[in-house]
Amino acid sequence: MSETTTQQNEPVSRGYWSDAFRRLRRRKLAMVCFIIVLIYAAMAAFVGIVETETFKKIFKLDVPIVRWNEQVGPSYQKPMAQYDFKPEQSETKVKGWSLFGTDFLGESTLRKTLYGVKTSMLVAFCASIISIGIGVPLGALAGYYRGWVDETIVWFYTTLGTIPYILLLMAFAVALRGREFFGVEIRGAPAVYLAIGLTSWVGLCRLIRGEIIKRKESEYVLAARAMGCSDFRILFSHLLPNVFHIILINFSLRFVSFIHAEVILSFLGLGENDKPSWGAMIDAARTELARDVWWEMAAATAAIFLISLALNIFSDALRDCLDPKLRID
Amino acid sequence: MPEKDTLLEVKDLKTHFPIRKGVLNRTVGYVKAVDGVSFSIRQGSTLGLVGESGCGKTTVGRTLLRLIPASDGKVFFEGQDVLGLAASRMKHLRRQMQIMFQDPYGSLNPRMTVRDIVGEGLTVHRVARGRQRSLRVNEILEQVGLSARYAERFPHEFSGGQRQRIGIARALAVNPKFIVCDEPVSALDVSIQSQIINLLQDLQEKLGLTYLFIAHDLAVVEHISEYVAVMYLGRIVEYARRDDLYLRPLHPYTRALLSAIPQPNPEKKHSRMVLKGEVPSPANPPAGCHFHPRCPWAEERCKTEDQKLEGKADQHCAACWKTDKIV
Repeated sequence: MSETTTQQNEPVSRGYWSDAFRRLRRRKLAMVCFIIVLIYAAMAAFVGIVETETFKKIFKLDVPIVRWNEQVGPSYQKPMAQYDFKPEQSETKVKGWSLFGTDFLGESTLRKTLYGVKTSMLVAFCASIISIGIGVPLGALAGYYRGWVDETIVWFYTTLGTIPYILLLMAFAVALRGREFFGVEIRGAPAVYLAIGLTSWVGLCRLIRGEIIKRKESEYVLAARAMGCSDFRILFSHLLPNVFHIILINFSLRFVSFIHAEVILSFLGLGENDKPSWGAMIDAARTELARDVWWEMAAATAAIFLISLALNIFSDALRDCLDPKLRID
Repeated sequence: MPEKDTLLEVKDLKTHFPIRKGVLNRTVGYVKAVDGVSFSIRQGSTLGLVGESGCGKTTVGRTLLRLIPASDGKVFFEGQDVLGLAASRMKHLRRQMQIMFQDPYGSLNPRMTVRDIVGEGLTVHRVARGRQRSLRVNEILEQVGLSARYAERFPHEFSGGQRQRIGIARALAVNPKFIVCDEPVSALDVSIQSQIINLLQDLQEKLGLTYLFIAHDLAVVEHISEYVAVMYLGRIVEYARRDDLYLRPLHPYTRALLSAIPQPNPEKKHSRMVLKGEVPSPANPPAGCHFHPRCPWAEERCKTEDQKLEGKADQHCAACWKTDKIV
């Protein structure tokens, strides 16, 4: 009897992660931001699904977003205004209404903005995965083995790091475009996220290297070595779980900068040019601004602004909850 | 020197850390953390290794487990040359030789549950897995005085003393014969210290363990050790049975250490031998006897002549030529 009562009175055992997420859930603003991020992600997934041929065949449904290049109105139609419009094939005029207006070709800005969510999220997500996939293993190897491994990796990333970022990004984007790798031609979004991912791992690599160096002399690692654990086991089951929160924080912070990088590349004319993207929209709107056509720029900027703000607030909350030294609540 | 029941023998062990300087990273000298240490430990006994901070006692413990590469010397464990073993054989030997650490907070991986911490050795050495491993972990936890209910918890949920018990459980999991206890109680409250010491003694009795007990607290060492070695600046200056050392210290440094132990009775007049100066840097140790700059009995001869610790394993020996002249 007494055994069971003591068990009931004992506090619930919580691990690092469950404890951190419990703290995170208590932050209202962070959760709102997280929901915004989830909506963006869901939108991206939705666009990705409805544009596949299989979806169109099975559901016999053609979602308007996929027809982003359809002419829906006269060129440069103001937002939220009624207009008369004569489509090319038909003889009769139809009445139309557009929330965000139209561009030079009469394409709907709203559809393009929504389609841009997919381009942006895809590019930022894949670039993050590539950047983490390169930065974390290299940083971990350099920090753990030191010696010539460390010197080689450090030399490699300092060399890469001395080239100005935009220049490097442009060089990679130009070099990758239109190239064939394993029979697949790299163009469009993959060219963009490859270029961003391959150029942006230096900071993360440096960070992980430092963290591994700091932790590899700790007593729990010594104990694991005394136990006869292999280097592989020490790295993967002792060291990396202890730096994983840093990777996660970095991932969410970087996501924003990758969305921005996509815009920069598109602006420079090196981005995705077959499908709509926010960068391409801003690039196009640059010349149109002189004609008082502001809505294309505004729509893309607002979309970027909202996701950037949400991700930044969420990342800060995540960092507060994951870093024990910053915990205040 | 080696006897029949010697479990561990250390011969002239040296651990030197290079000091690198300048753009070219040239080695300009060495920190002689351990500079020629020899001792042997009998099966089932405890050797206490004492000395002040920075004298190299922790380095001795880590070097003989090959956690730090040795610069010179030999370590024999049951006749096997530990420092010369190939990696695969060494992994095997690690089951026999374990270590527990001073810091109860830093020595347990904060992201692992107690079950994984204690059971890791069983997995690594393929002793047990799955349910069998769970049962074995429960058994070891009970053995060190922790409830098996705690197995799914994380290290931050325990007190310092409980964490040290987890550290002991981790070392015991693979059934070792020899455990290096690296200041296991220095970071604990006095009341908890005795609990841990008693636990270590009980386990020694039950399992026939052999300890190298590293500490700077002479009272703790007196309680647990059968033999005591006193280290100063990378060398052992005195080695004796516990009672011999505490009743009749020979080396001036040991005398100074013993006289520094606080007396419980404040009324009693007690002449204290206070050492002057600081411990010299192990990167640049003094010539001759390392202790001579601080020794009240030092003579010319001490400044030039190296003092060696000589004698048989069971004898009381001190690295000082004038032990019989000092009263």
